[in-house]
Amino acid sequence: MGDFPAVVISGIVSGSTYALLALGIVIIFRSTDTVNFAIGDIGTLAVFVTGTLIAAGLPVAAGLLVAIVLAGLMGMTTERLLIRPLGHSRNVLFIALVITIGLGLLIHAGIFLAWGTRSRSFPVLIPGSTNIFGIALAWNKIMAALIAAAAMGAIAWFFTKTAFGTAMRATAEDPGAARMIGIDAGRVATIAWFVGCGMAAIAAFFLAADTSLNASLTISALFRAFAGVFLGGLTSMAGAVIGGFVIGVLDNIAGRYISANYRDTIVFAVIVLVLFIRPAGVLGAGRKERV
Amino acid sequence: MSRATNTVALRWISIAIAGVALAFAVGPLKMVGDYPQFIIASASFYFIAVLSVNMLAGLCGIWSMGHTAYIALGAYFAANLTKYGVPLEVILVAAAAAAGILGFILGLSAGRFSVLYFGLLTMALALVTTEVIAHWVAMTGGDDGMKVGKAISIFWPAPIETKNAVVICVLLATAVYLIGEAVNSSQLGRRWLAVKGQRTASMAIGLKPHVENATAFGLSAAIASLSGVAMAFSVAFIDPVAFSLDASITLIVGTVVGGIGSSLGALIGSGFITAVPELARDALAVANFVYGGTMVLVLLFLRQGLVPAFRAMMRRRRSLGKAKDAAPRQAVDSAAMNALVSRLMPPAKHTLSLKNVSVHFSGLKALDDVSFDIPPGTAVGLIGPNGAGKTSLLNVLSGFYIPLPATSVTLDDVDVLAASPSGRAALGMGRTFQHAELFPELTIRDMLITVAGLARPLRRAHHIALQEPDAVAELILDGLELRPYADSLPAELPFGIQKVADIGRVLAIGASVVSMDEPFSGLDEHERSELRAILRGMHSAGVSILIIDHAVQEVLSLADKVVVLDFGRLLAYGDPETIRRDPDVMKAYFGSAQHAEVPANG
Repeated sequence: MGDFPAVVISGIVSGSTYALLALGIVIIFRSTDTVNFAIGDIGTLAVFVTGTLIAAGLPVAAGLLVAIVLAGLMGMTTERLLIRPLGHSRNVLFIALVITIGLGLLIHAGIFLAWGTRSRSFPVLIPGSTNIFGIALAWNKIMAALIAAAAMGAIAWFFTKTAFGTAMRATAEDPGAARMIGIDAGRVATIAWFVGCGMAAIAAFFLAADTSLNASLTISALFRAFAGVFLGGLTSMAGAVIGGFVIGVLDNIAGRYISANYRDTIVFAVIVLVLFIRPAGVLGAGRKERV
Repeated sequence: MSRATNTVALRWISIAIAGVALAFAVGPLKMVGDYPQFIIASASFYFIAVLSVNMLAGLCGIWSMGHTAYIALGAYFAANLTKYGVPLEVILVAAAAAAGILGFILGLSAGRFSVLYFGLLTMALALVTTEVIAHWVAMTGGDDGMKVGKAISIFWPAPIETKNAVVICVLLATAVYLIGEAVNSSQLGRRWLAVKGQRTASMAIGLKPHVENATAFGLSAAIASLSGVAMAFSVAFIDPVAFSLDASITLIVGTVVGGIGSSLGALIGSGFITAVPELARDALAVANFVYGGTMVLVLLFLRQGLVPAFRAMMRRRRSLGKAKDAAPRQAVDSAAMNALVSRLMPPAKHTLSLKNVSVHFSGLKALDDVSFDIPPGTAVGLIGPNGAGKTSLLNVLSGFYIPLPATSVTLDDVDVLAASPSGRAALGMGRTFQHAELFPELTIRDMLITVAGLARPLRRAHHIALQEPDAVAELILDGLELRPYADSLPAELPFGIQKVADIGRVLAIGASVVSMDEPFSGLDEHERSELRAILRGMHSAGVSILIIDHAVQEVLSLADKVVVLDFGRLLAYGDPETIRRDPDVMKAYFGSAQHAEVPANG
């Protein structure tokens, strides 16, 4: 068990990606009751565009910003064109989910058509690696974790300290009351989709730098993010972040000490167990759905 | 009725003949080439898979993205058991049984989660399935896949060539089509629709939602496993790709495009997911483009998918034509009501006795030591200002609130509280709802037939001559003047009619002790006077009634005894005249005893 600290630390580092995606999923869900399955694909598409721009001479750091904004805009457009027209009724929850699955397929196909099926290399922000407590870690991963932490900090600040952030939380708690005191639900949705998809772009950006740029970049991370969301509850931002990190660590521990072949199975077995005890997740509230 | 039955039988026979004919044409008669044969085989096993997902979504509102797990189970059962010479028929039964049991267990938990969570959880199941397949090499051949031997049939002398497995596929698909139709038009399908639409009301008619969900999931999983067996024999080689998450999503595409809750929809959807990749053979991305685009467009513009959208259109057109020549509805009078009730249920024989009923919500006393009796055949009114505990009391009677341990509710010597919410209908207890809460996807006739079907044992136990569910439903349709609305869905009806239909439902249960939650609310004067007649008719036929309402004058004029609650306590209990003059009651309603009369509408 001598490598335990290393296993945990690298778990936390990969967990930061899951936490980012999970946070994006929850922010979007809270604002529009939509589980956005295309969130990973939107991030991936933004990073593909950015990759082309970087190859044409854009600095890598600026590329990160461009990716965030692009993904954010795509998110806004998606909400406006595909989600808002659905309106609010009881069956919409699942229909919206299936629509985003459809959108994911479209984006996936679009990337194949525009960039082909082969993986491309993607530059890292800072090359090389360093030693932390005797554990070798790539700078790219450290930067990913730091920027993820900064982004999550910014989100926390936005939602607790700014008036609009508070209004957004109020809308998630009680849409009717929020409308009554004059909060514009449309604007809340727009911002939530922008921010949520922007988070996904950060995750996709560092995933691409870590491995390579390909259309299925975020699939495995997205699943772990969903596992984190289950764990924390679909309605809790803090829960999603904690859940993402827990999954990162759990996944690493399961892979190292139990079985490298059955990582997904072990992770999801734990989730299912947790959900049987607390069906709405550890920090979630069973909102809107009947018991 | 019999003509309709004949039409259905005729349709079934035609479908069966068409299926068998197709199987022979493409199989032994070799009327098509290898490629069409393969396409027909694929479309058949896709159809079986899509139907299993479609049925669950349509009848239960459960969306499974994990059905590839059951398909895989069927496929690997086929591949492994064939090695030991196990015949096809045994494999089908074994796979269906195993998948059915696993599905039943998973389905039991469906009610614990929201539609969304359950959908995502089943998606995790799909993911885990591919992982297990990839690593359990001894059984599955791992990522490299495994060959499937030729099927051996009890009814065929030689092993079935892979090419001829198309016969197996088409015959299975035909059988599954008929199963789908049968479930859709049977008591089973109607029960699932009831649970899907109104979980609470479905418990009040005696259904156990989690058991219904589990049964549906088990059947659906069993059907999905048949698709796997068919696939294994007609492709002759299986690998994890066939059961990946992409495959799950493809099944959802097929379900969404054709439309849920329809065998025809499943057929169209499976045709779509078979044809698109074949037509886009050279460009992988094109298939995904078409899938994604179709899915988004269908859901945005034809929310329910092709077949149900078309049906809804036809329905609207028909009902528009009908609305013109509809005669005005006759109001029910109390003598007719009495006659109707007497044929449907026994008069109440036992006293419903509430003793020391207490319900606390984290310190707040919603009900505090309330005791009163409802003797057989009496109408007891329950009134009280907002927050008095009326709804809490109703929820205790229906079984949705668990009161404090000192509470006792008995009917004769039966402990009512020991029965689950679903078990109370069998005790002869029924209820109506403030907002009617009819089942949105069942026509009024279907609702009555379903409920009467569930109430059959009760009627048998009480030696009621009329037991046949169809006959019970027809009697209620006529007795409550609901005949013009028999084939309407609740949403197509005015609220007053919905409330009458809700009373029809409680008559169909055969309940002799009926709680009514705000029967008068939302009705106009005309409808109120009819409701009065209905209640008088029920009362004179010996039904015990608990009327909970804000319409105090209505309650006082109908009830034999009145219970007044205030802040969870029993404020007064007595005959209406006494209550009308009780100073405490006035105080509770007005804050003083000055006013001479309690308001008609609280």
